[in-house]
Formats: sequence, structure tokens, C-alpha cells
Amino acid sequence: MATETERRFDGKRLGRTPQVLAFILVQAVAFAATYTAGHPTWYAYFMIGSTAVTAYLLDGSSFAVASATISSVLLVALGLPLFLFVARQQPSIIAEKAVSPDVHRMLYLGVYGPLLAAIVSLLLGIPLAHLLAEGFAGQPLVESLVDLPLVVPHSVAGILILFGFGKGGAFPQLSILGTMVGVVLAMVFVSAPYAVNATREAFEAIDDRLSYASRIHGANRWETFRRVTGPLAVRGMVTGGVLAWARAVSEFGAVAVVAYSVEFFYLPAGEKVTTQHAPVFVYSTYLQGGLAESGAVAFILLGVSALIFLVVRYLTNDTSGGIA
Amino acid sequence: MSLLQADVASTFTADGAEAFTVDASLEVDSGETLVVLGPSGSGKTLLLETIAGFHDHEGVVTRDGDPLHDRPPEQRGFGFVFQDYALFPHMTVRENVEYGARYHEGTPDAAALLTDLGVGDLLDRYPPTLSGGERQRVALARSLAVEPDVMLLDEPLAALDVPTRQSLRDDLADILADVTALYVTHNRTTARAIADRIAVMRDGRVVQRGSPEEIFERPESPTVANFTGSNVVDLSAAPSLAALLNGDGSLDSHVAVRPEAVRLNGGSGDLEATVERVVREDATSRVTLAFDGVTVEAFADEPPDEGATVGVSFPRDRLHVC
Repeated sequence: MATETERRFDGKRLGRTPQVLAFILVQAVAFAATYTAGHPTWYAYFMIGSTAVTAYLLDGSSFAVASATISSVLLVALGLPLFLFVARQQPSIIAEKAVSPDVHRMLYLGVYGPLLAAIVSLLLGIPLAHLLAEGFAGQPLVESLVDLPLVVPHSVAGILILFGFGKGGAFPQLSILGTMVGVVLAMVFVSAPYAVNATREAFEAIDDRLSYASRIHGANRWETFRRVTGPLAVRGMVTGGVLAWARAVSEFGAVAVVAYSVEFFYLPAGEKVTTQHAPVFVYSTYLQGGLAESGAVAFILLGVSALIFLVVRYLTNDTSGGIA
Repeated sequence: MSLLQADVASTFTADGAEAFTVDASLEVDSGETLVVLGPSGSGKTLLLETIAGFHDHEGVVTRDGDPLHDRPPEQRGFGFVFQDYALFPHMTVRENVEYGARYHEGTPDAAALLTDLGVGDLLDRYPPTLSGGERQRVALARSLAVEPDVMLLDEPLAALDVPTRQSLRDDLADILADVTALYVTHNRTTARAIADRIAVMRDGRVVQRGSPEEIFERPESPTVANFTGSNVVDLSAAPSLAALLNGDGSLDSHVAVRPEAVRLNGGSGDLEATVERVVREDATSRVTLAFDGVTVEAFADEPPDEGATVGVSFPRDRLHVC
């Protein structure tokens, strides 16, 4: 149940929605005007200045103005490339790429491969997350192993996979070079920590006494997981899956090493085809076709990724209000 | 109804804290309510959870002689009511109460149980939308629904406001009258209202067992006397009180006396005391009296003024040397 403070906070946020929309509108108009005038640099100054003024009008304290102004510098660094990327696209090239069978295959693989990787990461990661949340002897070692891919350069991750599962590796019968298995392995390697850690946090947030209550009223550990801890952690699992999927979509280094080009069964055509994972495809297009062509492909990829992300967020948004 | 015997030792280590060990032996007769009374941090909850099987432990737990200590919680036949309710937030009240039905045969109807507990209209609500008192009644119904051999209750009234606590305490006293129950609390009023017997716990160990009368009137140590609300006076510091005992207590001992046994008598009494402080409570006043450099508390419906000198009487049979 929402506390009084939470309700008031929500009310405050809702009450500020018009202000947020007005701020976004002003920024959009300013960007369009400066870009059309051929001076996008002016927009950078405008954004920093307008943020400082807005902070002064809304709060008035020097601390708030300083925080907002410094923050806006970072936001400019993050946002301006994205705005200019979108603004500088040539619709004709985008349209051309949007109907290209090569791009379709790339998009198919770019969604499907990461989806497989996210599913594998979750299926194998949920039990591990549960164990980590409960705690066990030697846990710090396992935690370090789980988090290792977060600090290993991704090209190195690809090399590790080739050593581990390639020729002369642990499973000689496994063919990973240029195969779907290799792509998924590379993606799982880099994205599993996200699935495990998000799910683990969800399990850790569940009060131990809910498990105790389940057990004492007759449920064994499997039933307790199925009826209580699993359902209560499902949002964390979905978050972990989405993070793992998003991480796998963006993976370049490990995939490029293991499977620069990948052969897979392309369902829409009903046959095996060869293409590249999306980031590798964008890089390859950049090398062969230059910035304009690779930008168009990247634009389509960005749009599809954003769309999927928004759909997943919408579908997993808690509207029941029953869980607290 | 069942006889519960437990002699267990369990060690708990919180993050960054020193290990805490509970090592206690208890016996609850059939149909009896044994209250484990102790201050916060004395290990009451850990003891209860250990008996329930939630933590690894050494020792034995038996019910009617049947060993339970090697069984998981779901096979021990206990009901458990938690201080913070522990209702499943993603299930309705009905689903919560019926949670254990599939693991037990012939369980009572959830709606009837809830109606008996005065919350029959909450069946389709979710726990987060209920008040504290409603949640605890639902939690109680969930435990009763599996018809446990023994009820374990962990401070079920502690999180409730005073009127709700009093109302639920009355209902609990009725429910526990025919049930074998182990009830832990730090609240001595609740303990006295509900207990058939009391075990006082401190630092992970039981320091005294007995009837409520024995625990409250004849504490075996100054620690128990203090915790159960008696005045505890060091006899070496209070010669006038020592004189009243006619040599019953040595000067290195203490005497315990309940505040309600101390009488204020205008100008006469066993000794004279100065009224140091008067605090108005619900229906009476708590008066702090000073004599010989020590203080005791008493209750008075018509309290004297602060600073006044009054005569104080101590009924001999209510003075207990410990």
C-alpha cells in the first residue's frame, strides 16, 4: 500500500507534468531553430542556460541552480549526439534500407539472438540468483565470477569463449565459430550478470518471513518458490531479462570475435541465411558505405530497439496495486 | 492438543554483528499457553523460529514425544503468527487463508474463520489495503486454518495501536484457551493477560520459569524483577527497608516489591518518603517516592503533590528478597 508520503510525492509529480511538457516543448523548438539556422552549438548553450533559469524559477536556491547547471552539461554531452543523429538522417536512405532484405535479416537476428540469450541467461540465472540471495559458503567467489564479464573487455570475452568452447575447448563437438550457438554463447557471457543481479535483488527484497509463512503452512521449498517467492520476484526477473536482452543487442566485441558473420535459420524465408549481428552489421556498413548508410541502419535499429523496450515496459508495468 | 518439548541451541549472525546464541529448554503442556517474556534482543524470536524449523539448530524438539527436529518446517505441524503479519501481498485475503488447505485435509472454511474473527467482509481484498489489526486477524485465520497441533506466536500484537491491541488480545485469549501455544512477547501486560505459565528470557537463555504469579510476585533475580515491573531496592542502600524485613534479607541482597503493593498513608506508615514525581496515567497516577537515597514507585488514585512528605507502607507478604 502506498504510504502517505508516496501519495503526496506522486501528486507532486503529477502536478508538475505540464511544466515538464512545456520544458520539453521549449527544448524541441530551440533545437529545431538552432539546427535549421545551422548553429547547433547555440542549442548546447541554450540548454545549459535554460536549465539554470528553470532551476532558479522552480527552486531558487544556489545549490539547486548549480546542481542543475552542472547536470545539464552532462545531459548535453549525452543528448546532443542523439538529437543530431536523428536530425541529420536522410529519409530516402532510411526508406531504402528499411526495405532491404539484408537489413530485415539483420533486424531478425538482432532481436532473435538476444532473445535466446536473455532466455538462457534467465533460465540458468534464476536458480543462481536465488542461491545468492539466500547466501552460501564461498559466495564472494561465485559473485566475482558472475560479475567478471562486466569488467572484461568484450573482445577478450570473445577470446575466452573461443578458448572455452571452441576447437580444443571443453566441448569439441560444439561448433561455435560463425554459428548461432556461438552468437548466443557470446551474448550470454556478457549479459548473464544483468539477469542474475536484477533477479537476485528481487529475491533479496522479499521478506524472509514470507518464505517462513509458506513453509510453516505446509508448502515445501519448491512450492514456496512456485507460489510465493517466484511470483513476488517476477518483475525483477523481467527487468533482468530486458536488461540482458538490451545488453545482448548492443554487444559488438564478443560476437565479432566468435561469429563476425553468422549462419542461422531465417524463419520468414524458410531457409538458412548468413548475416551479421546488428552492431557488427552497422560497423560493417560504416566501413563499406560510410556514415550516411550506417547512420540509416543505426536509425532503424535504434527505432526497433526503443519500440521493443517501450512495449516490454508497458506490458510489465504493475497496474494491480496489489503488491507491496 | 499436544505436549511440546524443546531443548535447542541455535546461533545467528547478522551482517557485521557478533554471533548470537540461543540455548534454551522449554516444555508446553497440552492446551497450555506458555509465554516467553524478554526484552528486545533477548533471543525470543530466534528461539521461536528455531523451534519452527526455520534455522539450523542443535538439540531436540518433540511433540507428544514424537521427534520433530529433523523435519522441515512444513512437516512439524505448527501454526505461526508473525509480528509483521507476513501475509502474501500478491494474494487476496481468501487465498492467504486457504494457502495451506492443499497440504492439509479437511481444513475449515476460510469465510467462516474470518467471520469468527470479525473480518468476514475482507475476503477479496489484498493485504496491503488492510489496517494492521485486520492484517493480524487474517494472519491468525491463516494459521488456524491448517488446524495446527501447536501455535507459535511472535509478538502478534506488537505492531498494533493500543485499542486494536486490546481488542485482539481479548480475542487471542479466547482462541488460545484451548490450544497448545508458545507466545513470545516483550510486553508484560500481554504476558500476564494471556499466559498460563511464563518463561523469562535474557541473553538467549531462560532465566526463570513459573506461573504469572511466581514471575511477577516472586522474581528470582533483580533482573527478572526489573523487567517484570517491580521496584528493586538494594538493601545495603536502604536501611529503613532492610529493618522491615527483620533479618530476612542479607545486606548484599535486593528486595522486590510491586508498585501496586506500595501504599501511601498520609502522615503514618512504615517509613516517610518524599514525593519526587507524579505522572498521570489512564485511571491512576504513578508516584515516584524517595527515601534513604533510593526511589520506589507506587500507584495512587489521588496522588499527593510533588515535594510533599508522605507515610509509606510495604505489606510484608509482598516484599520479596531476591
